[in-house]
Parts: sequence; C-alpha cells; structure tokens
Amino acid sequence: MASQDSQDIETATTAIQPDNKTRRYDRQLRLWAASGQAALEAARVLVISGRATSTSILKNLVLPGIGHFTILDHDTVSHADAGNNFFLNGFDSIGKNRASEAVPLLAELNDSVEGCTDTRTLSAVLDTDPAWLASFTIVIAHNLENALLERLSSLLWSDPARPPIVVVRSAGFLGEFFTQFHEHTIIESHSENPPSLRIDKPFPALRDHALALDFDAMDPTEHGHIPYVVILVRVLEEWKKSHDGKPPQTTAERQEFKKRILAMKVKSDEENFDEAEAQAYRCWTETKVPSEITTLFEDPAISPEALRQKPSAFFHLLAALKEFTDQSETHTLPLTSTLPDMKSDTTNYIDLQRLYKTRAEEEKHAFKSHLRAPVDDTLVDLFVKNAHALQVLRGNQWGAFDQDRAALADALASFPKETATHLALSALFALQGNHPGSSPTVEQLRGQVQSVVGDGIDLPEALDDAIGELARAPSAELPNTAAFLGGMVAQETIKVITKQYIPVKGYCVIDLVDTWTGMIGA
Amino acid sequence: MAINSLHVNGSATSSDWQDRYFHIDQILDQPGPRTDPSFLAGDEVKEFLRDKCKILVIGAGGLGCEILANLALTGFKDIHVIDMDTIDISNLNRQFLFRQADVGKPKAIVAAEYVMKRVPGVKVTPYFGKIQDKGDDYYMEFNLVICGLDSVEARRWINATLVNLVDPDTPESLKPLIDGGTEGFKGQARVILPTVSSCYECSLDMLNKPTTFPICTIANTPRLPEHCIEWASVLEWPRVHGDKKLDTDDPDHINWLYTVASARAKVFKIEGMTWSLTQGVVKNVIPAIASTNAIIAGTFIHWDSSCCNEAFKIATSSAAYLNNYFMLIGTEGVYSYTFEHEKREHCPVCGGEALELSISREWTVEQLIEMLTEKQTIQIKKPSLSTSTRQIYFQAPPQLQKATLPNLKKKVSELVEAGGEVIVTASTLPFNLSLIITYT
Repeated sequence: MASQDSQDIETATTAIQPDNKTRRYDRQLRLWAASGQAALEAARVLVISGRATSTSILKNLVLPGIGHFTILDHDTVSHADAGNNFFLNGFDSIGKNRASEAVPLLAELNDSVEGCTDTRTLSAVLDTDPAWLASFTIVIAHNLENALLERLSSLLWSDPARPPIVVVRSAGFLGEFFTQFHEHTIIESHSENPPSLRIDKPFPALRDHALALDFDAMDPTEHGHIPYVVILVRVLEEWKKSHDGKPPQTTAERQEFKKRILAMKVKSDEENFDEAEAQAYRCWTETKVPSEITTLFEDPAISPEALRQKPSAFFHLLAALKEFTDQSETHTLPLTSTLPDMKSDTTNYIDLQRLYKTRAEEEKHAFKSHLRAPVDDTLVDLFVKNAHALQVLRGNQWGAFDQDRAALADALASFPKETATHLALSALFALQGNHPGSSPTVEQLRGQVQSVVGDGIDLPEALDDAIGELARAPSAELPNTAAFLGGMVAQETIKVITKQYIPVKGYCVIDLVDTWTGMIGA
Repeated sequence: MAINSLHVNGSATSSDWQDRYFHIDQILDQPGPRTDPSFLAGDEVKEFLRDKCKILVIGAGGLGCEILANLALTGFKDIHVIDMDTIDISNLNRQFLFRQADVGKPKAIVAAEYVMKRVPGVKVTPYFGKIQDKGDDYYMEFNLVICGLDSVEARRWINATLVNLVDPDTPESLKPLIDGGTEGFKGQARVILPTVSSCYECSLDMLNKPTTFPICTIANTPRLPEHCIEWASVLEWPRVHGDKKLDTDDPDHINWLYTVASARAKVFKIEGMTWSLTQGVVKNVIPAIASTNAIIAGTFIHWDSSCCNEAFKIATSSAAYLNNYFMLIGTEGVYSYTFEHEKREHCPVCGGEALELSISREWTVEQLIEMLTEKQTIQIKKPSLSTSTRQIYFQAPPQLQKATLPNLKKKVSELVEAGGEVIVTASTLPFNLSLIITYT
C-alpha cells in the first residue's frame, strides 16, 4: 500500500524538476538568486587585451553566464602568449590575432554567452568611436599603458551614465585592481547581521499575545514550547511595570532579570527558557535605526529637488524610508517577517510567525504611503526586507589617489606594505610609458615612487620588497597571479553587475609572495 | 601539429618552443628580495620543475580543474589526477574543463585529456577511483600532493597517510600537501609539511559544525521547511521504500522528497518549501563559483613552485612557510587573513601522543562514543573501541558488532581502569587514536 502511495506521488510530480538552466547554475543561484542571474545575463562586458590575465577574468564571467563579452585586442599572439594563456591553441595560435584566437575558446565554456572579437586598437576606438565604449555594462582593462588608460578612464568618468571600469595591473607575484564608478547602490548586501526582532519595542499584537498567555495553566509540554521571543516580551513588560517603564540597566539588574526567566521553569530541562536567558540581551539593546542607515538619510540624493532632477527608484525608496522612520512611533525600520528558528512546537512557532508577518505587511503598507513615485512591488519587498543593510558607495576617479599627497602619506603610515606595493606598481607603469614590458631598475622605481609621494616622505621597508619583485619580473604574467587576479576581478565584476554583496572601493592590492591582500585609497 | 606529435615520441622538453616560458622564467632565473636562500635560481630549478617533478592532484572538481590548468601552464610536465566522481550538469558553472557533452563521464579522465589537448607536451595521468585504492608505494612516487577535495573524511585520510609516510631517515618521504576549499565568495588555502607544520587533523576544530536537527523536532514539532525535508528523507524514505537507498543525485528521489515534505509543510502551515531547498538540505549543497576557485588555486601554484624546489629542503628552511594558512572572504569588499596555524599538542595524527580524557565514572560506553563523534577536536564517525586486552565495542564486522553490543550500556569505568588506555579506530581513518582515561 505504501509503495502504491509513493508510485502515485512519483507520477504526479515528474514535472517539478528544475530545467537544465537552473540545474547548470544551481550552485551560484544559491548565492545571487534569479534576480542576480538576470542581471548577469543582461550584462555586456568589454575586456581590453586577450592576454592571460584577461582571459582568466573572462573565464570566470562566461561560466556563470554573462550575456555578452567583447575582447578588444589588436595584437597577434606571441611565443610567450602561447605559453602562458590557457585560452589559446598553444603553438598553433602564434602569429594570429589574440582576440580572435581566444574568443572561441572562451565562448565554448557556455553556449548561452555571446562572444565577440574586436581587432581595432584602443587608441583608434578612443579617436573615432567613444560611444561604442560607453555601450557596455562594464569595462575591464588589464596592464594598459598609462596614456591610454588615462584617456579611457577620463572618458568613462566624464559622464556618470557611462560604465564603470575595472583597472587591473600585475607583474610577477604582485597585482592590484581598482573599480572606477560614480555611485553604486546595494539593496541585497547579504549582510550577516539579522534585522531586529523588536523584543524591546514589541508591536501591539505581539505584546498582547505575550501578556494574554496563561503560563501557569499550561501543561508541562506546552510550557516547554513557549518561544523565547514570547517569554522575553512578557518578562520585560512585567519588569518595566516595577522599574519606571525601563528595561534592566545595571549589571545587577540584568542578572536579576535572567534569574527571573530561569525561575519560571516548571521543569529543569525546559530549553526554551535557557534560550530566553541567552537571548535576554535583546531586552536592553534598544532597537534603533542602525547608524549606517541614518547616515544614508543625510544623502543629498534623497532631497525632493535631487529626486526630480535624477529620478531613481533606490533613492525614492530611501526617502520614503527616512519619512517612515521619522514618523513611526518607535523610530524603527519597517519590521521584517523573518523569524529565526527557536525552541518551540509547530503551533506556537507558526502563530508567532503569523503575528510578525501580519505586522510586517501593515508596516510595509505604511511605508509605501511615503513613496512619491511608483516603484515595482517586488523591489519594495526586497528593499524593506534589507532596509537594515542598505549600502550607497560613492567612488573616485582612477588615478586621483596618486595625486593626493596627503592621502598617500596617511596610507603609507597606516598600511605601509599595501601602499608601497600600489606605488611600486604605479611607478612601474609610469616608467614603462609607451614601452610596455621594459625593465626599469630598482633605483628608477624608487625614484619614481619618491617623486609621487614627495621628497619629505620616508618610504617604508616594504617598498624594497615590492620594487625588488618588480625589477625581477617586470613583464611576467604568471599563471598563478593571472588565476588569482582573474578570480578576484570576476568576483568584483559580478558584485557590481548584480548589485549584490559589497564591492571593493579603492584599490585592492595583492602580493602572492607572502600571500596577502589589502585595501587602500577608498 | 608537429609540436604535439613530438612529445609522444621524444622527451617532453622538445615540444617547448622558444620563449614558451618567457613569463615564468622571469621568476625562475633570479631570486626576489623575499625568496628563500635555498632557492637555486636558474637551469637547475627549471629542469627539476619541467623534467623531474611529479605532482599528484587529488580531486578534479572546482579546485582541481583550476589547479591542473595552472600546473600545466607553469611548466610541470608529469601530473597525476585522482577523482572518483563523474561529471554532473551542476558542475558546468565552474569546472571549466568539462562541457555539456561530457556529463556522465569520469572527471579525472576528461580533465586530463582536455589539459593535454590545450597545453602541448604535458602528461596528465588520470585515475578514476578512490584515494583509498592506492597504497603508500603510490603516494611515495610524488614530490608534492595538492588537494581540491570537498570531503572532510578524504582530507583526513590523505593527511594521515602522508604523515605516516614520513621517515626521518629518508628526506624524500616528506611530501608537502597543499589543501584548499571554497564556499561561495569565501575560501581558504594552506600548506602542510607533514610532521613539520600543523596538519589537517591539528585544525579540525576550525570546521563549522554541521547543522543537525533534533529528532523530536523532525518527528513532532517541525517549524521550518528544513524540518519537513529531514522528516521526508530520514523517516519517511526508509518507511516507504524499505531497503532502497536514497540517492541524492537522482532527481526523481529529490522529487519524491520534495512532494512528501511539501505535503507535510502544508499540514503544519509551514511556508517556504522549494525544490532547490530540498536538494540543498539532503545533499548538503555548498554554493560554488568559478572565481573563488580560481583565487584559491592561484595561491596554490606559488606554493608549488616553491615546494617543488626539492621538497626535502623545506624541512630545513621553514622560514618561507611561516604563513601556512590563507583565508579569504569576498562578500564585503575583499578581506583576507594569512597566518601560521600551529601544531596541535596531542594531535592524534602528527602529535604521536595519547590524548588524556577525563570523564565521569557514571558514563556509559555509548556516551563516550557520542562524545567522540561530536567533540570538535575528534569528530570520529562510527568509532570502534578496544583496550590492549579486550574489545569494548566494534562497528564491524557484524558478528563482532553483535558480540560487543551489550557493552554499550555498560559504564566505561567497569571496563577500563583509571589511567588505562583505549584505542579508537574507524574504517574511514588510517590512524588510531589513543585515549588515556581518567575519572572525575
């Protein structure tokens, strides 16, 4: 009989299985969901040069399924290229155009990705077709000579509507990348801090529910399944009655409060009361708008004039959030319905979950009344759910850091090895000028760094380590460094495109001699 | 064409065209400011790397694919790879040596063929099977072992095997082990010099505890969709299907669980049940992307080129290996941490000493076993226990299991005197744990 049941179920459910695309992308959909995947699939990525680092980056973007990529490269495959680039046909590729050789081998990684080759020089494109460069979602440039990089990055910076550019540099075991963007807003930052359960400021239905329960009349099984949230709300409300409406404040009071919780046990093994004791800090940790979010409320982009001039769903939502919290009785963010698991039985837990859900719906409704522009409901839901972890990043133009001597001096003092490594790489590319791959001496590199930071600045010992490495391998694109940077830059690109997780602001510097990474120049 | 055919007949180096190693030679021809003094820059190291060094890669999955490609490009010519898995469609979002048409084929074989096709002159020898199929003689052949594994058990096995291999009189018996793992935007990599530096077993307590749900929650008081899924897989599957084994790779089986769990969730008014969650819970799916694997494999290869510089020198020049553990978190900016993980005193694998354990006189053998399974620094699944004179409890073979079963309810203190030694073994681990029992 049992197997008959299962047979029926099996026949009835054969259509449930996910399609091939969902199965292929399963391991990444668990990170950025369908919304992130849709953003990737809509993205058009331009990568400048088809050398080893560039193809390593692209590999990690084609596999998860960006919509389109173009490699811009005028050069032909050298003997050295054929030896260090996995996305060439070895010796057979020598002498052929580098982009044309690499694109098919990258495109075959994923049938749903479109790959294109462009064999013009960047300088010709900058002269004749700058609009084409601006047509991409994001631009990635590796080891571009200084003059071209300055032209390209200035062009993209000159209009905030133009795409961000990731500037990647490497030599030997050292490398860095910098993403140039004007503004980057994030709703789904995937913060590990959960939103508040508001035990200290219970909404009326939660408070009433907690106070209405008759703990004494319960049978032991039920008593052992009261969720800790309910226990805490109740104990806190009772405490406040005898303490001028205040939660426990001194250490002694807090100990006393915890003792009260444990004294409520009718059996010693009631884990829900142990859990309540462990979570008691929630009663005296006031639920407020997190300081990171109150800072965002000062953002000029949410003023009515700014929103009129530059309409943006994110900033409309942020403006509404500010108004909502200003007017809310508790001065808190809208409640979210996410309830963590806790010791309880099904009924008690589901009832509590329903209270949270109903209240969250009501507050979302109230929040929406503050919106001054129509915003898609799905986006509103997402925004409210992540309101405690929103992010607004404002970036800098590439190269600005190297011209700010005060900032460089500060960075050298606080992060000597990271800053020294960045300055050494900048010096290498400044000295190589129009002769990529040339080999400056240690003395020349040191002189260049000194001229950038100014004569009065002491250079850290770490600089010797960095310039020594660059003098040793000024034009080496090592497979491991290319792989490492390829992974890093792809991760950042994915974060920028999906607007999920938090990308690096400023430089991320890497050293694979001692295996470290660091961030400077934010 | 000529290039490819040359390596088949002649030596591997004859397929090396001029400037093939232009990039890598820059770091092999001269040392840098921080290069270990024992590094012999120049032709000797190149010859060792390209003609003599034999490397074993364990795992041809997410990390394995990256490692194989990087090793081949770096110039290693004699690479072996072991993997017991076949290719699944969900591998294709990151395991870049495989295509849709390869689904169902052995990973080790497809990966080896693809790398040899793309990097002329390299020889990649695949083995489609388990690491436990191979013995000490096999592992002794390599200069270096690199792991890209997804299983704790397999890591513990290879770690213990390489530690056991070390013979102080034979420097070549010390095989550096490079190991790593990733989860989403996070990853880690480390170098283990068996008996010299901290080993995998030393850091067992750094593993995250697996999520488990109490059986009473699953059976009586489900609150989350996960509880309903566990109910379907742990209780309902065996009840309905009897001895038929649940195959978490079979979509029809997942379908069945999803349907059964959904029905239960509906009864209990539990929301949020999905197919993907069902699969995630029963298979313990870990999110995985190409970029993080590339980063972690990228840290490896630097270590290999150093490790390969005549492995025996490592034991005498540990300075370059002070920082043996690298952790990366890429969710919020890029945060990484490099540190020296220290050897654990009383490590059952590389410490060589017995572990002193103080327990209550009232404890039963069953309680001791539960503790050995759960304790972070031990984590031995299905341990068998004995003293030098008697068998306390054996998990297998069935006769012995049956004969020792009554001991489970006995107190340990009835079977082992204070200060007595208990030997703990498990079929999954190639080492014994020795416990000195004292009573409180």
